[in-house]
Amino acid sequence: MSSNCESDKGPADNCITPHMTDKTTPHQTVVHGSRARAASARCDRDASRPLFWQPGVSCLRVLVLAFPLAGCEGMQSVMDPVSRDAYLMAQLGWWMFAAAIFVFIVTIGLLGVAIMIRHGDKKGVPSFRFSTGLVVAGGVLAPLTAIIAVVISGVLISDETEGDPGLAGPVIEVTGRQWWWEFRYLNDNGETVAVTANEMHLPVGRRARIKLISDDVIHSFWVPNMQGKTDLIPGQTNILYAEPAQAGRWRGQCAEFCGLQHALMGLLIVAEPTDAYDAWLDHQARPAVVTDHPGLDVFVEQNCSICHTVRGTRANGTRGPDLTHVASRATLAAATLPNTRGNMGGWITSTHSVKPGVAMPATAPPPDDLMALLDFLDALE
Amino acid sequence: MSRVPENPEATTSIRDESDPQMRARLAELEKTWQSPRGFIGWFTHVNHTSIGKRFLITAMVFFLLSGLLALAMRLQLLSPLNDVLDAQTYNQVMTVHGTAMMFLFAIPAMEGIAIYLAPLMVGARDMAFPRLNAFGYYVYLIGGTVFFLSLPFGLAPDAGWFNYVPLSGPEHSAGYGIDVWTTMITFIEVSALTAAVELIVTILKLRVPGMSLNRMPIFVWAVLVMSFMILFAMPSVIVASSFLMMDRLVDTAFFDVTLGGSPLLWQHLFWFFGHPEVYIILVPALGIVTSIVITFTQRPLFGYTAVVLALVGVGMISFGLWVHHMYTTGLPLMGRSFFMAASTMIAIPSGVQIYCWIATIWGSRPRYASPMIWVLGFFAIFIAGGLTGVMVASVPFDRQVHDTYFVVAHFHYVLIGGAVFPLMAGLHYWFPKITGRMIGEQLGKWSCAVTFVGFNLTFFPMHQLGLEGMPRRVYTYLPDLGWGDLNLLATGGSFVMAAGFGMILVNIIVSLRSGEVAGDNPWNASTLEWATASPPLNCNFAEQVSVKTANPLWDWHEQNQRAMVSGLSTTQRETIVTTLLDALPQSVMILPGPTIWPFVSAVVASICFLGLIFSPWFFVVGVFGTFATFVMWFIPPRYTTDPNADLPEEAKS
Amino acid sequence: MKTWIDIDASELPRLAPRTHPLWWGILSAVAIEAAVVANLLASYFYLMAQTEGPWPPAGTEAPPILWPTVFLVLLPLSSVTMWWAGRGSDRGDKRQLAIGVTASVGLALLALVARSFQIASFDVKWSDSAYGSILWTITGFHFTHVVSAILGTAVVAVYAWRGYFNPARQLGVIVDTLYWYFVAGIFVPIYLVLILAPRIL
Repeated sequence: MSSNCESDKGPADNCITPHMTDKTTPHQTVVHGSRARAASARCDRDASRPLFWQPGVSCLRVLVLAFPLAGCEGMQSVMDPVSRDAYLMAQLGWWMFAAAIFVFIVTIGLLGVAIMIRHGDKKGVPSFRFSTGLVVAGGVLAPLTAIIAVVISGVLISDETEGDPGLAGPVIEVTGRQWWWEFRYLNDNGETVAVTANEMHLPVGRRARIKLISDDVIHSFWVPNMQGKTDLIPGQTNILYAEPAQAGRWRGQCAEFCGLQHALMGLLIVAEPTDAYDAWLDHQARPAVVTDHPGLDVFVEQNCSICHTVRGTRANGTRGPDLTHVASRATLAAATLPNTRGNMGGWITSTHSVKPGVAMPATAPPPDDLMALLDFLDALE
Repeated sequence: MSRVPENPEATTSIRDESDPQMRARLAELEKTWQSPRGFIGWFTHVNHTSIGKRFLITAMVFFLLSGLLALAMRLQLLSPLNDVLDAQTYNQVMTVHGTAMMFLFAIPAMEGIAIYLAPLMVGARDMAFPRLNAFGYYVYLIGGTVFFLSLPFGLAPDAGWFNYVPLSGPEHSAGYGIDVWTTMITFIEVSALTAAVELIVTILKLRVPGMSLNRMPIFVWAVLVMSFMILFAMPSVIVASSFLMMDRLVDTAFFDVTLGGSPLLWQHLFWFFGHPEVYIILVPALGIVTSIVITFTQRPLFGYTAVVLALVGVGMISFGLWVHHMYTTGLPLMGRSFFMAASTMIAIPSGVQIYCWIATIWGSRPRYASPMIWVLGFFAIFIAGGLTGVMVASVPFDRQVHDTYFVVAHFHYVLIGGAVFPLMAGLHYWFPKITGRMIGEQLGKWSCAVTFVGFNLTFFPMHQLGLEGMPRRVYTYLPDLGWGDLNLLATGGSFVMAAGFGMILVNIIVSLRSGEVAGDNPWNASTLEWATASPPLNCNFAEQVSVKTANPLWDWHEQNQRAMVSGLSTTQRETIVTTLLDALPQSVMILPGPTIWPFVSAVVASICFLGLIFSPWFFVVGVFGTFATFVMWFIPPRYTTDPNADLPEEAKS
Repeated sequence: MKTWIDIDASELPRLAPRTHPLWWGILSAVAIEAAVVANLLASYFYLMAQTEGPWPPAGTEAPPILWPTVFLVLLPLSSVTMWWAGRGSDRGDKRQLAIGVTASVGLALLALVARSFQIASFDVKWSDSAYGSILWTITGFHFTHVVSAILGTAVVAVYAWRGYFNPARQLGVIVDTLYWYFVAGIFVPIYLVLILAPRIL
């Protein structure tokens, strides 16, 4: 699955866009939609089986294998840093790894020598001085050197990676939810400019200030290519800085166990040049491009609007992700599925087969209504 | 009191079977220390050899069960979006695996081996409070069984072994799962605490004359350090889980942010226990390794004092580094830097120990019997785990790998390498003492090799997975992240490792039936547990001895003579009490015999703890109910008619 | 191998109440309980430190000072009677022992009544705030300990009246007294933190 992407594009390149462009093709849309529905029909829970043994992810497997998300190894990796912060941490890791290998070889080597060698007095007992020297050198001096190196490098690098020097960037408030991310872009007065979910755009070369909060349980915001993780803890606000050095897309994931679907609480980072970023934010800040559509009526009738907001329309729920510009996003269900029309249909109609336990109820409007709904959501660029 | 004999007058050992009078005395003594037979009798045992063996066997059963859970998890993670286990089941399995490995296997196994061996090593006839010992075992057995049974009944906790609030709080975890965790873990901690008290007093007061603190075997030192750590670490997890229990059951607000509570309070309390916990498991394992190194090099340990100080140092430092589990919670950098320094400090005492072992081994041409092979496996894995431990102690690096598979790899290296390998080494080493038969040598070595290979295949790739961004505690992962191959390798490795443990099990069963008869001291070891029969007599030692050095058996052999204590009764359970530091004879303790009451107390207490899940009134019932059984347990029987022989108030424990 | 007798244990005391391992066992139990109290008080301070604004939280009165002070006086008083009972026991005065432990039980029961008055007058419920939770928990923890110490001592009192103890056979009295001292003594830091500190700070 991943080879097609790797072969022609680097991991940091736009790996998700090919699938995004697919979705406008009508023919494919139908195929995707029906396959997703067929998949969901197959995957609906069999009530006769005990809960304990019910497979929970089979439907997700069908969807994801049919429509690979990205196919980009290295998109979520400590070892491919794209910011100075992550670069310093990766370098530190490599240095410590090298030192650890050295210490391991020396210690095990000495153990090997100790086993093989025969010297000293008749019984082979080495002199007291020799043994003491061994213990002091290996057991005290060597670890002490390592401690000093680790502590000093740790303090210096933390100081840099956790501070906010550099060109001030956007201020983004991240709220962790079970099991998705809400991103609020704030202006200088701390007012919300735009709200989006699971996809964070960042300007290249500027240091974004990310405020981390949570209303439910503890989550942890982690985009390994960009920065170390920091927890989102109810009752407190933690700060994290992110400063991508190049444009590209990276994936992040919740790193603190937060319940049933912790495994599928992903997010996408899109780093863009400043002008592209500004244009994006400007667009995100506007109300929805479509405010009158038969699909909107379905959206309200089917109670989607109780939880979801589409700015500029009567849908103003706040429990779920803001869908004002949902069609502009690359993924669905917290960076779990590519945002295709088929996946959207599958997600709406058999939510709990894709991601069991999420707060969103599965909804099955009549086929025509569903198509109208999907048309509407497709239009929310 | 200790006198050097001017003219050592040879007296006959009462184990000299040629002397009919001695034989009669020994028979009488053995009868006094005999544990009752039969089904009811089983519940009245108080001898430490019996209780220690039960702890060990029960812990091994939980180890096997939790290991099977690990295999189930590995099967689920075999490939991306696999559906062997659903999310709910996976989270339960993961939680029970972690909790059981920590609370139901690792600590009780270490306690079991300590309860079995420490009294023998200090030459005592039993532990200071045999009935408390039995009580602790039943608490563990009942608590552990209830906890584990929650899984097949679908009532298992699912918030991970460290059970963070608010996820585990009343709002986000409905149902009984977390309640089972809080009540049963608190309950099982009671057992750990009784064992700790028991071990501390036994080691400090029941050492044979002459075994001053600086002559104590290193294993006994390690057990002493472990027990003190349990004493001061467990209360904080008891407090934490009581807070959580009350939050869930009677609406207190310890962790409720809206009412002034704090989720981080849980983390501080939990890790103040949780970090020492790791060393509670590690420290006795280091003691086991030391015992084996001494025996198989046939040399006294180099740097006895240094190793003792290192053990004590590990114990003390371990209380000062809990915050390194909380580097990502937004604490000030200043504070985290302090804990970074403290965490890396552990490298010094660990290094001192490792190099003292190397110095001891240096040029000794050790004997490569199976226990020593397991110790060599321990060296490789534990050093690797220690080194990644220094890496994760670094704040910036940890902010990347915290809560990823890198950490999963790290702590399995430390815990399996640092505790399970030594435990297996100890099992092979003391098997002849416990069962009277040698364990199969060839299979012992092969099982070690297979486990070693399987272990590294399973856990080494996890370092890489963590660096590739795989968080821990995920029930599945997307195919495109490229984690499939290494996970496949890890799953394959886990089955190799399981095969290794299977071989150990087969070896144990075969050796129990047809192993070579061991004799008293098959390895020519130097410590007192080898001075009695294999398996030990009911009374442990037909005569308590008096020692002059740290390696008494080697000295006896060299001088062809040994000193003993005479004048202990053969009709009641007596053991000698000595002073704290120098082990000068002080008095004689009369130990209580078999009784059913500790079992009854444990049953009543467990009913009360379980009842707490349903009604807080069980707390009141529990206080009075348990008190009533304690009175029955301590009550002096027929004291008015028999003022001299039976003095149960003293003997109460 | 030759075996020679180094120590003859037949002369050593069998009862030795003051060097008995049980005394050390109770001391360990006391250490555990003290660690629990330390954890509880640390939690109290932690919750206090991370609460913005006043402590106890605005709208909550600190616990009234009268009844806990009565409690604070009665508990050490009952320790004095325990000590006096122990002295009697040392001399073999069974009557003094019996009267002493009974007086202690009586004083502690009085203290318990005073404590109950105080708990009834708390301005806050355990479910109202984290402050209420920790206040009730620490109070309840100590209350339970006083109850169990009273129960234990009551059993000792029964045996004392029936003449069971003598100078050699008084281990029960000694360990019970040790535990009693602990229960009385541990109230001092609790009193200082929960009752006095909010009043004077």
